[in-house]
Amino acid sequence: MTDAGPNLTPLIIVTLTLVSFIVAGLRARARSASDYGIGGRYIGRIGGGAAIASNWMSAASLLGMGGLLYLQGYYALAYVIGWTGGYVLLLVLMAGQIRRFGKYTAPDFMGDRYASPSAGLISAGISIIISIIYCTAQFKGIGMLFGWLFGTSYRNGVILGSVVVVGYVIISGVLGVARNQQLQYTVLIVSFILPLMALAYKLGYFWPLPQFGYGVAIQDLKQEFGINFTAPFASGSLFQWISLCFTLMVGTAGLPHVLSRFYVVPNIRDARWSLVWGLFFIALIYWSAPAYAVFARLLEARSGMPLPPAAAGKMADIIVIKTAVMGGLPPWMVGVLAAGAVSAAFFTVAGLLINGAASFSHDIYYRFINPRASESTKMALSKGAVVALAAIVMVIALDPPGLIAEITAVAFALAGNTIFPAFLLGIWWGRANRQGVISGMLAGVVITFSTPLFGHFLPFVAVIFPLTSSAFFGAPAVIAIMVVVSLLTPPPPEEMRRFLAERVHGHMD
Amino acid sequence: MGHDRDWYDVNIFRPRKGYMTGEVVIILFVLLGWAAANFGVQAILFLLAESPNGEGILTRLTFLSFPWHFWFTAQFLPLWFIILCILFNIYIDRHTEQHSRRKDRSHD
Repeated sequence: MTDAGPNLTPLIIVTLTLVSFIVAGLRARARSASDYGIGGRYIGRIGGGAAIASNWMSAASLLGMGGLLYLQGYYALAYVIGWTGGYVLLLVLMAGQIRRFGKYTAPDFMGDRYASPSAGLISAGISIIISIIYCTAQFKGIGMLFGWLFGTSYRNGVILGSVVVVGYVIISGVLGVARNQQLQYTVLIVSFILPLMALAYKLGYFWPLPQFGYGVAIQDLKQEFGINFTAPFASGSLFQWISLCFTLMVGTAGLPHVLSRFYVVPNIRDARWSLVWGLFFIALIYWSAPAYAVFARLLEARSGMPLPPAAAGKMADIIVIKTAVMGGLPPWMVGVLAAGAVSAAFFTVAGLLINGAASFSHDIYYRFINPRASESTKMALSKGAVVALAAIVMVIALDPPGLIAEITAVAFALAGNTIFPAFLLGIWWGRANRQGVISGMLAGVVITFSTPLFGHFLPFVAVIFPLTSSAFFGAPAVIAIMVVVSLLTPPPPEEMRRFLAERVHGHMD
Repeated sequence: MGHDRDWYDVNIFRPRKGYMTGEVVIILFVLLGWAAANFGVQAILFLLAESPNGEGILTRLTFLSFPWHFWFTAQFLPLWFIILCILFNIYIDRHTEQHSRRKDRSHD
């Protein structure tokens, strides 16, 4: 491990990977401009699934999850379950209905369904806050990786990484690089699983399917070193596990950038089946992450240098990379792994910054401040917003408030407490109205941040609404508020109720 | 249209006759499978715990060399979610076809 100097081979591989995405994007654009319709070229159900998975994969999936599993063992499986089980909710409760409703973004849906520009404005604000929190987690991953690649401090890594990622976003925007999500997913999955196979092979475990062959390593860890990686409630209680898991699930079903994925395929049936493929591709990564954590523990124990908890916590977020280094993998393979993690973080940041900026220029500025703004003004504002958002995120990331997956979980809690209930009732209860959704979303924001806001003088708040797990009680509370306020105020417009009944539910009867 | 107000009141707990009733039944079954496997097994793990950190019979059993509970949560549950999604799609596709006036998939 050469923390003192730059890791040249991995650095070159990461650079080449990022450049190749821009080149591949430009070539694809030049070759088949006519193949791209609304929302991108139609690529079939499997391709659609790869797009869903690539859109989903972030630093939290490739780095953060491994880190938390390494620190907390079984307890961190709540992340694996939360981030896969949420897709079941999304599929059965929302996917088809949102598509029939025909609105692409959360602010558009709110504004239309509840006939309320204010509801649209609030959800645009919430979407931007979600983007900022989510990006902070990505920037932490980028900062740690850049610090390691260049052999410099985390702080320098964040600053350097921010400059590069904003440059990447601007280049992609200016050149109009098409996002080739199947290529992206292929790079992510190969770069994550290939080094894992090599590690399993080197350590002498079943390597052809390493994600299903590390059970013996768990036994070895216990028998040789007395480390029990799998004790169910060693790092948290049953309530903490379930509330975290539930929060991540409803958050998954309420994340704005996930909700808008159902428009790249031509019909509802394909959208539903793409989601199944997407979940399978996501699971491939999530079946693998625990193996990295187990191998990390084992390699540490075998080297006789288990880290003290404070040091382990500091490096947990790049434990996946450190495991590859500890396991003695060749530098090029460590580089491939790093390239996958950097790519995941970059794609996510690019998507979120662009969406966040569009939300600001379109949903807030154009609709509320200056409806007569020209396209060029909106464009300039959008670019400015990318830089401003990135600057805010960078400042927060310099002193990160937690581990990557934990920071990400707060974004999920916010989505689960606000957008999920608003969509759920918006689709499944015709009586939900403007007043209900506005009070519900505002209450959801307060609930999400109630622990840092009131936790120190109202201790029970911190128990009921933990920052990363607040939606277990929060989402039902918001739903109850929405129901009560809606019933106390006049019903929504009749046309909308008729539209819901005829178009969204059972239009073919 | 000649429908009274109740006709267009959408409520998941009072699904309208026809397509929506069947749809809600399928959804409820999937959600039941989702919740039972997910939260139910964690609760059983808790009830069978013999020590504060939760060790018990299910953590001593092994499957594919994994402690059973770890295999179930880390490996089987994501697979179970995929299976649930496949089942949901199969049933909802069939249900949609049954309720479609035309059988040419124009309802998609």
